[in-house]
Amino acid sequence: MASTVIGAGITIEGEVSSEDEVVVQGTIRGKLHGKDRVTIEQGAVVEADVTSGPLTVAGSITGNINSHDRVDLQAGAKVIGNVKATRITIADGAQFKGNVDMDV
Amino acid sequence: MATIGKSARVKGRIHGNEDLTVFGRVEGEVNIDGDVVIEASALVAANISAHVITVRGAIKGDLTASDAVRLEDGARVVGDLRAPRVAIAPGALVRGYVQTAHNGKEVPARRPAAAQVARPAARVAVPARPAALPTTPTTTPTTQAVRVVAKVEPKRAALSIAGGIKAPPPVVPVLKKGSKGALKRRG
Repeated sequence: MASTVIGAGITIEGEVSSEDEVVVQGTIRGKLHGKDRVTIEQGAVVEADVTSGPLTVAGSITGNINSHDRVDLQAGAKVIGNVKATRITIADGAQFKGNVDMDV
Repeated sequence: MATIGKSARVKGRIHGNEDLTVFGRVEGEVNIDGDVVIEASALVAANISAHVITVRGAIKGDLTASDAVRLEDGARVVGDLRAPRVAIAPGALVRGYVQTAHNGKEVPARRPAAAQVARPAARVAVPARPAALPTTPTTTPTTQAVRVVAKVEPKRAALSIAGGIKAPPPVVPVLKKGSKGALKRRG
């Protein structure tokens, strides 16, 4: 299990940072800094700028995403914001509005 | 069930309605409609309110629980504790005000009942002691032994109320500088 889990019933207003894996099922407003894998699960609401390692999104993110690894937007994901990452996949059924910046 | 991992750091407000376990750092405010566990590796600078708060780590902030606050071995708390039930285990360190009541209400009905049970037991124990006293001179009939018992017994009785806590150091009146010499000269 991931070392940090923000459960579905939890809301954090402020800044979250972690060296290890983070799983978000609840709500974060503010900033989210992850050095390792970050997973935004279905039903999660992130209104924050996100920096991370590999990022998997099935929930909703409003804010800019900056990943030093890949970003995967899964079906059902909703992202509004700019994404900067080495690789990006957007699954069929994911909603996305914003700029994409990949290392070309 | 939410977890703040060992390397994680949260600055701000955490609120919600599920249990929270903290291994990492939290600064700000924690308001949980559930149980909170602060593990030994955690560093928390926040006021916490929850149903049950269990602490094995370090906290700077007030703890308010609707059910219980439990400080276990290794807990270090600088702040006030407020809950209907407060438990401080040996090895836990606290600096702050402790109140076993919630929202100004005194402890729920369970508590006074327990106190009433405890009180008659204490009353029974008091007559038991004088009854034991006459038996001691019979075994050791020297007057010295009786004197020693008479001297020590009231102190022991007072100490036993505290439940095995060591006797505080004797209060020594502080003398003004030079007054000792004056006393010596007079005496």
